[in-house]
Amino acid sequence: MSAPAAAVSDRLRVAVLASNAAAQDRLATLVAQCGHQLVEATASPDAVLTDGTADAVLPAAAVALGAVAGEFAGWLPPDAGAAQVDAALRAVAAGLTVRATPLASRNFDSLPEEPPVLLTPREIEVLGALGNGMTNKEVARLLGISPHTVKFHIESLFRKLGAASRAEAVAKGIRQQIVEF
Amino acid sequence: MADTAENPLISLSQAMAERARLARFLVAGIAVPGHRMRSGTLWRKDVVVASEQRFPDAGDAQVTMADGSAFTARVAGRDPGTNVVALTLDGSPDPAPLPAGEPQPGGLALALGADDAGISVRLGVIRSVGPSWHSRAGGRIDRRITLDIGVTRSEEGGPVLDPGGGLFGISTLGPRGRVLVIPASTVETVLEPLLSKGRVERGWLGLALQPVLVPEALQAEAGQSQGLMVMSVSKDGPAAQANLHTGDILVKIAGESVTSPTAVAQYLGPDSVGKQVELHLIRADKPFSTAVIVGIRPDR
Repeated sequence: MSAPAAAVSDRLRVAVLASNAAAQDRLATLVAQCGHQLVEATASPDAVLTDGTADAVLPAAAVALGAVAGEFAGWLPPDAGAAQVDAALRAVAAGLTVRATPLASRNFDSLPEEPPVLLTPREIEVLGALGNGMTNKEVARLLGISPHTVKFHIESLFRKLGAASRAEAVAKGIRQQIVEF
Repeated sequence: MADTAENPLISLSQAMAERARLARFLVAGIAVPGHRMRSGTLWRKDVVVASEQRFPDAGDAQVTMADGSAFTARVAGRDPGTNVVALTLDGSPDPAPLPAGEPQPGGLALALGADDAGISVRLGVIRSVGPSWHSRAGGRIDRRITLDIGVTRSEEGGPVLDPGGGLFGISTLGPRGRVLVIPASTVETVLEPLLSKGRVERGWLGLALQPVLVPEALQAEAGQSQGLMVMSVSKDGPAAQANLHTGDILVKIAGESVTSPTAVAQYLGPDSVGKQVELHLIRADKPFSTAVIVGIRPDR
């Protein structure tokens, strides 16, 4: 990974708690995609990612994916992506409460204005690949460009989006507006 | 104590109450079994309009007017594009058409609605007035009027009036709970198709677009530095039939530069359906033109 040094310090230590191994793996993958460090529940984590079914005492503020019952600082839909999970983990670690906005409660709205920063087509492709948790090498292979060029695009993305980490760039980048016509 | 007739606050209060009293007959309380009460506006004889968002997908509704008269109403049509749902009923009074109000920023507005407690009245100023705009759902709204008035989900859809008795339109909850007005002229425009066809047909291309910076090497070729990249193409939609691909950058429609979603929306009004439009794109670093026959935007 070629994330800048600043990004390392804002990595969280995250534990995952689920009732079965498959769910445990899925949550662990999400934590990795967010760029956070996976730790044991006993190792005083900064935050917990759970499917809400594990019968355990939570060692830290938790984000629950699709849970139906329980007391959690963060609630996200079961299909939440890495960008949302990352934002929620950071928020609960900072002592905030997180709730996803249900689609149905979104009010009548206008078409989005032009975004404050415009990305190039290549930057959008690179950002999409980062959102899928790919490494620079994997992005380079996917797009048929050199890892050096990938790094160049990522630096440009960080600069344009004012992001200090891949996760932050992905989180800010998804606010770029796609409209269906 | 000063004489009440000379106290301007008391005269204002009395004038407001009188205004609300005269407009009460426009307010329709709409009850759909199993759903919260909501508000509507008696628009003409036997037609009530209300806010389309979250309006239940139900058959019949009970409509109660301020005088206590009750009617069974049915949804005649709904338009997510302008957030208007039209209900028809039998034997309602015939409201005298109200003059259109002319909104001025800072001017007073009264928002009426209905909830479980009966008719509600709210007062505030017109927060802003802007030109026409396009909703995310594809409709064109004649003016952007926002109010410094809060309304509940039960109250939205009721009439918004000016102090002189003119009608601005119907209230609508917008982003971040801000209250918008769907202008009377916009309601009028969509009402005929809603009553005759149940919907308002608008243009559709069948693609998703995102504003992008045109790569520098291509800016001279494109004649502009911004465009809209095709992020996805609906299977068998008009864009797919015109052979558009993900990654193409749209730069012009009918010879006019397009750089924002709003610019594209201008070409997809009700009149656009079935018409052919010329699209200018950049594909694989080269200019590329194609024609697309505008389809009908599917319902959500």
